[in-house]
Amino acid sequence: MLMVQLACPKCGFVIEQYGAEQLETDAQKQKRYQYLRKKQSLCPSCLTQTAKLEERRVELEAPPQAELMAEAEAPPEARAEGEAATPTPFCDELERGPWPSHVTELKQTRYHMQMYEEGLRQKRTQWGFGGYTSIPGVASGILMRASARPDIAKGANLVRAFCPSGTFYSTKTFRALCDVADRHGYGILHLHATTCDIEVLGVPKEELRATVDELVAAGLDVGSTGDAYRNCQECIGPLRCEMVLVDSVAMRQAYFTRFLDDVQYPRFPHKIKFKLSGCPNDCTRSQQKGDIAIVGVFRDPPRIDEARLDDWVKNGGDLAHVVRMCPTRAMEWDGRRLTIDADACVRCMYCINKCPAIRPGGDRGVAVLAGGKMRGKYGPLQPFLIAPLVPAIPPDFKEVFDLCAKITDVYDEHARRKERLGDFIYRTGIDEFCRLVGVAPTPQQMVAPRINPFYHWTPEELQASRKEA
Amino acid sequence: MPGVGLPPLEQNLPPIVLRNYAKWVDHEEVRPGVLKHVAESGEECYTVRAGMPTNARVSTVLARRIADLADDFAGGHLRFTRRHSLELVGVDPARIDELIERLRGLGLPVGGTGRTFRNTVSCTGWIHCQFAATDAPAVAKAISDELYEDFLTERYPAKLKISISGCVNQCGEGSTADIGIVGIHRDLPRVIDEEVARCEIPLIVSVCPTGAIRPKPPKSVQVDPERCIHCVACAAPCQGMQIGDPETDGLAVVVGGKAGNSGNGPAFAKFVIPYLPNTPPRWPEVTRAVRQIVEVWVQGARRDERIGDWIARIGWDKFFQKAGLPMSDKLLDGYVLWPMSARTGVRFHW
Repeated sequence: MLMVQLACPKCGFVIEQYGAEQLETDAQKQKRYQYLRKKQSLCPSCLTQTAKLEERRVELEAPPQAELMAEAEAPPEARAEGEAATPTPFCDELERGPWPSHVTELKQTRYHMQMYEEGLRQKRTQWGFGGYTSIPGVASGILMRASARPDIAKGANLVRAFCPSGTFYSTKTFRALCDVADRHGYGILHLHATTCDIEVLGVPKEELRATVDELVAAGLDVGSTGDAYRNCQECIGPLRCEMVLVDSVAMRQAYFTRFLDDVQYPRFPHKIKFKLSGCPNDCTRSQQKGDIAIVGVFRDPPRIDEARLDDWVKNGGDLAHVVRMCPTRAMEWDGRRLTIDADACVRCMYCINKCPAIRPGGDRGVAVLAGGKMRGKYGPLQPFLIAPLVPAIPPDFKEVFDLCAKITDVYDEHARRKERLGDFIYRTGIDEFCRLVGVAPTPQQMVAPRINPFYHWTPEELQASRKEA
Repeated sequence: MPGVGLPPLEQNLPPIVLRNYAKWVDHEEVRPGVLKHVAESGEECYTVRAGMPTNARVSTVLARRIADLADDFAGGHLRFTRRHSLELVGVDPARIDELIERLRGLGLPVGGTGRTFRNTVSCTGWIHCQFAATDAPAVAKAISDELYEDFLTERYPAKLKISISGCVNQCGEGSTADIGIVGIHRDLPRVIDEEVARCEIPLIVSVCPTGAIRPKPPKSVQVDPERCIHCVACAAPCQGMQIGDPETDGLAVVVGGKAGNSGNGPAFAKFVIPYLPNTPPRWPEVTRAVRQIVEVWVQGARRDERIGDWIARIGWDKFFQKAGLPMSDKLLDGYVLWPMSARTGVRFHW
């Protein structure tokens, strides 16, 4: 079988390979191949950075095995007696106090405490260069980190896996996860990283493949590194919340069904983080962090259950306070009757959270926002509203995800490399971006209309005016 | 092989949740750390929430003990919240006290619901990261110890979320929280010529947001100190751009971020203390500043007003007076979005 390989020019390590035939027919693979060829890569074997990978065509009997992984690193060993005796005064200090300490946890594992101790002592990190990388068959989900102090510890890799729906674990899955961390890693878990990925830390190079396979077997698929769609974070939603307006859990399942290739094969200019919140309370903080933020919304004014309201007030519910704290002063309460001014109400959920007799109105859907991020060229940006109310129809939520795919297609086509979606929208302007995506403008998209007259007209629009004249 | 996606819902969800999927009607906070949810059918579901070790680092030793508890009390299921607290769902109400004792036995405090201090979120910091200017987990630990009592009891006007990021990449989401800590680098990146020669120089030049990086023939780059904003962008694509200096790195305190739409709506937190030095292992200046801000908020805010909403009501000028924070030229914005935060009228709070 003729294989096309992309390899490290320095050590010859094969970073990714495809069947030549498959590469000609599979558009997804072609995109990935083109992307990798242009991308700067970090070799997992010799940890050098290369701007250009070497291309080779080789005749292979079967897919290559783990032998290709050169320069094996010693597997993490149980901490030697001597190291345990090394004093760690700074770390010990962090074990004091009532809150459970991460140091106590780290000390129970094979993590090299001296790396952390030295960091605290010298006031600087002891870890060196790192980045996302891939091994044959696993394009996304592995992160390498070199050590700046090889005298203490070698570099350590970590494997990222997606948390199950609602971050619920059966103890069977949870114990399987512990087994993987014990067998291949330091025995420390990150539950969870801030995008709700599970991280298994300290996996030596030659065990990466086994770790991935065992995690997948336990039902925890890996991914969420590199310039791809990342893990999609959803709120607990229908699993244990009465506020939820759309089925966020089913939406996350549909996301993984539809976009799994985009999640596991990086090919975009930069990462794209998805956040789903079932209602405007936004428990996943999507309106701050989501490159694509999907938030459940409702259009009709909040509904008031009169009988229940009387009950609630009789039992000590402080309705006057709720009315006073309404952010747009849309509520009125004369001691007997509660009214909500539908024109002034912004559907913020405050009264609904506080008073069980007020419930969200009908006509529900999701708002789609794009471009949230915390770093990058223009600093923290909150995502910009693209569409205020998109119907969310299970099981596949086609309208919502079609729009998301359109947004990321435009981004893929037009953005510069390593430019986050928010920076790209900031650079192009929301008007131009919406034209590119092809969504109709809505008044909900603006806090206020523009105050300058500097907008563009297309030649067609000018032509139309000339004709009329 | 990867490529299987998510497991079916039945594999990890407890039966009580599957039975009442999208049929919840009400919830109530029984006491800090204990929630009661009621379904359409009248079925009640009790949840016990506990704080987790800082930085959400869990050894498999502790993880297995938690799994044992979940088997014993919650029918073999457990979950984690979006702020990485532990939740046991579907607990028998008669055994809640026993469960709380058992969780305390593992060192995990029960609380963090309602108007309390919530579990902190922090990035990896010096445990395992190359960029961190400050050690977010240790700062999180120091702050959590300081506010421990407030996790257990409801003393605040509204919830208090604190997040800590080790650098401006904000993996720890400092800017999203009511009070955030953001690690900052203050010095230029050091350019190691022979390492840079092996990297993709056009990429290093193009990732710089301010155009501070220019090629330096034959095969390296130079950094313009006037333009560099210490944003760490160049350190990610190349190991030759080394940022981080133990003597000048430190952290900043930001205040008033939140995601929910109630109150004043979603907003990022704003910088109120531009620099505090790194003082491991306990960062006393930081805990003091956080305590100071929390106490003025507790005194001044109305019920249900989060820090950002309270400050929006009284104004940032008033907040600085009340909190006794010194003003600094660093707090006035001069970057690309600066007109958004500059005052244009004369409506002051004296």
